[in-house]
Amino acid sequence: MPHPRTAARPDVIEFTSATKIYRSLLGRSVTAVEDFSLTVAEGEVLGIAGPNGAGKSTLISLLLGYLRPTAGSVTIAGIDPRKYVEKNGIGYLSELMTIHPGWTAESALTRFAILASVPPADVKTRVNAVIEQLGIGEHRGKKIKALSKGNLQRLGLAQSLLRDESVMILDEPTHGLDPVWTQRFRGIVEGLRRPGRTVIIASHNLDELQRLADRVAIIDHGRLQRVVQTGYDQTAETAGTYRIGIAAGAERVREMIPAAVETGGGEFEIPIRSIHDLNDILAKLIDAKILVASVIPARSVLEQQFREAVGEQE
Amino acid sequence: MMSSNLRRYLLWQFRDFVRDRGYAILLVGFLIGFTIVAPVRGLGRTIDSTLARNLVIAVLSQVTFILAFITLNGIVSTDRKLGYYRFLFSKPVSIPAYYVQLFFVYFIGFLAAIAILLGVFSFFTAPIDLVGPLLFCALLYLSLGGIAFLISTLFRYDWPILAGIFLGSAVLHQMWQFQEGWRRMVLSILPPVYRLTAELPNIVNRRPVDTNSVLWLLGYSAICFAAGLYVLRRRPFA
Repeated sequence: MPHPRTAARPDVIEFTSATKIYRSLLGRSVTAVEDFSLTVAEGEVLGIAGPNGAGKSTLISLLLGYLRPTAGSVTIAGIDPRKYVEKNGIGYLSELMTIHPGWTAESALTRFAILASVPPADVKTRVNAVIEQLGIGEHRGKKIKALSKGNLQRLGLAQSLLRDESVMILDEPTHGLDPVWTQRFRGIVEGLRRPGRTVIIASHNLDELQRLADRVAIIDHGRLQRVVQTGYDQTAETAGTYRIGIAAGAERVREMIPAAVETGGGEFEIPIRSIHDLNDILAKLIDAKILVASVIPARSVLEQQFREAVGEQE
Repeated sequence: MMSSNLRRYLLWQFRDFVRDRGYAILLVGFLIGFTIVAPVRGLGRTIDSTLARNLVIAVLSQVTFILAFITLNGIVSTDRKLGYYRFLFSKPVSIPAYYVQLFFVYFIGFLAAIAILLGVFSFFTAPIDLVGPLLFCALLYLSLGGIAFLISTLFRYDWPILAGIFLGSAVLHQMWQFQEGWRRMVLSILPPVYRLTAELPNIVNRRPVDTNSVLWLLGYSAICFAAGLYVLRRRPFA
């Protein structure tokens, strides 16, 4: 289960009014990130969500020191990100799997292990361990250009796990994975959670972020729109929508709960303000002898917040 | 100073050189060399060491610029253009140090490829002294290298820019070498690689060379190389 953010843990990553503007030679400029301020604590798993072009990739490039902010600052452990990376390294899974197509999966991992300063005696052991963990044993001798999208994604995740990094950044980590590996990946990321390690996951998959992250930063048009606490222990303070299936007495639901929207087949979408609100509604239905068949979150708290933040309300 | 992980990575960089550039250098070098040596052999003339040396000079004047271009093309820009930097530099690696090492790995690889070509050349002509030709190739790489390095740090498509600068420099030198005033100034700013070509016979025959020309050229390249390192340190890589 995600852990609530506590004040006791020091901040590791700090964006302070970070702004990144791309300028072309012709004088045109595009603001990718604007006045972005956020801190991420040691041991925290932070999700970053946003529509395409929201500025997620730019934020990650700022964190790796591949870009510098036009204004404001970004620091990791109090220093410039590039200096941090050169000194410590970061476990990074890129959305774009840009590895030389002529390398084999195993040689790519060996190279990355060497660059990651894995001790010479441990390189083979570590490479074999991540190959086994990500189930790419049968592909180890294949060239990168011969790997499927899913296997390439697993290789990318494998190279980020070669060393016990204190900061990990995973950009669209389940992109291209089949459902089985998506599930396994979630287990692996859950396993990454440890005191002292900060993990950032950028994803379009809100369900994934809801499950894995402690908080989710929602960005749009380069600006931080809101930060959502995830986890069931916080839902009492936030709103959501539930889908309630009725086996008998469906005709009376609209009278009792005017906000309920019938979606067909005896199902209703009911907006709730809190988990207590949901329980009150269920008690009311049961007291009225309406037979409740199912209760499913129709839209997670995060999804609801996301829609509000990026202006895609129904 | 190189960190230990970069030193351990050196052999992998050399492997990349062999696969990505080494074979191309050998193939292009062999083909161009063949077009120069074959007609001489076809005449049925005995090739002694003096003729062989003159043939080497002819071959090197044709081939080394092209081979150095193949070697240096995209030394930095390829990683940027194709996005290979994303994984490479998320590891604890200094970007300038990585490319300094790569520059010298390519230098060794380039000389090794030239040595192989000269060995093949000797086999078909007559035994030749490798020191002079290799010295010329080393000087040529170092002279071109710094300039190519700087251009590769600045531009994604460095090859046409580099070719344009060198061709422009050579053409303008031909046109304005006896001119004075601003034309002379322009010539002094452009890469003075033609100075090395003029010294080629002296270097191959191991005769005294115009050290001022060679030092000027190496200094010019070294300043460009240092500027390239500054760009790598200061300019965002993405």
